[in-house]
Amino acid sequence: MPARFAVLLVFVGGAAGAVVRELLMLLVPTLPRGFPLDILVANVVASFLIGLSTGRHNRKAIDDRWHLMVTTGTMGGLSTFSSFVYASSVLMTASMTGALVAFAYLVISLAVGYVAVVVGMKVGGYRHATREQT
Amino acid sequence: MEPVDVLWVGLGGGLGSVLRWWIGRLLGERYKGAFPLGTLLINVSGSLVIGYLSVLFKVDWHNRHGHGMVLNALVITGVLGGYTTFSSMQLDAAKLATKQHARLAASYLFLSVAAGLLAALAGAALARAQG
Repeated sequence: MPARFAVLLVFVGGAAGAVVRELLMLLVPTLPRGFPLDILVANVVASFLIGLSTGRHNRKAIDDRWHLMVTTGTMGGLSTFSSFVYASSVLMTASMTGALVAFAYLVISLAVGYVAVVVGMKVGGYRHATREQT
Repeated sequence: MEPVDVLWVGLGGGLGSVLRWWIGRLLGERYKGAFPLGTLLINVSGSLVIGYLSVLFKVDWHNRHGHGMVLNALVITGVLGGYTTFSSMQLDAAKLATKQHARLAASYLFLSVAAGLLAALAGAALARAQG
């Protein structure tokens, strides 16, 4: 794949992912005590979909270009690590309650995000029904 | 929040994602180990910058309707959000775990979060020290 084409795929995918994250930030409310539910939702959904796409790609059900655009681009743009740790650091230094909320946020994000990737890879790794018959 | 800000987020997200892809490619040519070094370095450096710029722009992280809306949308939500990635980190960890490196996978996640938190705090402290 020519590098210029790869850049275009990653740019388009990443831009679309970031816009979806922005819309989630506008639509999903922050929970009481500042729990960043919007970023949690974006990260967990992206984790599931990156697993799903990787599973399909391993099965050769989607090609390299689509895989690059969806995983490196869209899911990279939809999920974010910087907002994840920055919100935690702000909560952590604000108060004792904030520190507990931050700890819960970090642990829930890591645990649910990890499970989401694994489940996504499992689901994506299943053979396509029509292929199994041949 | 105005509709035009969504465009800034998209532009920034595209640029940040390309930067992440490019750095990952450069590192991948030089480092061939099992440890997902590229994503770790990208996420920690992005955390340092978000800490620094958030204080600099005086952006209250849970109230994004204050100052510096365009810069906030373009750089923080867009570029840094696109540059850093949570999903690739989890994918790296899951791949390590399936290759019998479960302990390395757990250390990688812990190290990413610990170093990312410290970097965000350090970035914010740096911006405050500058006044």
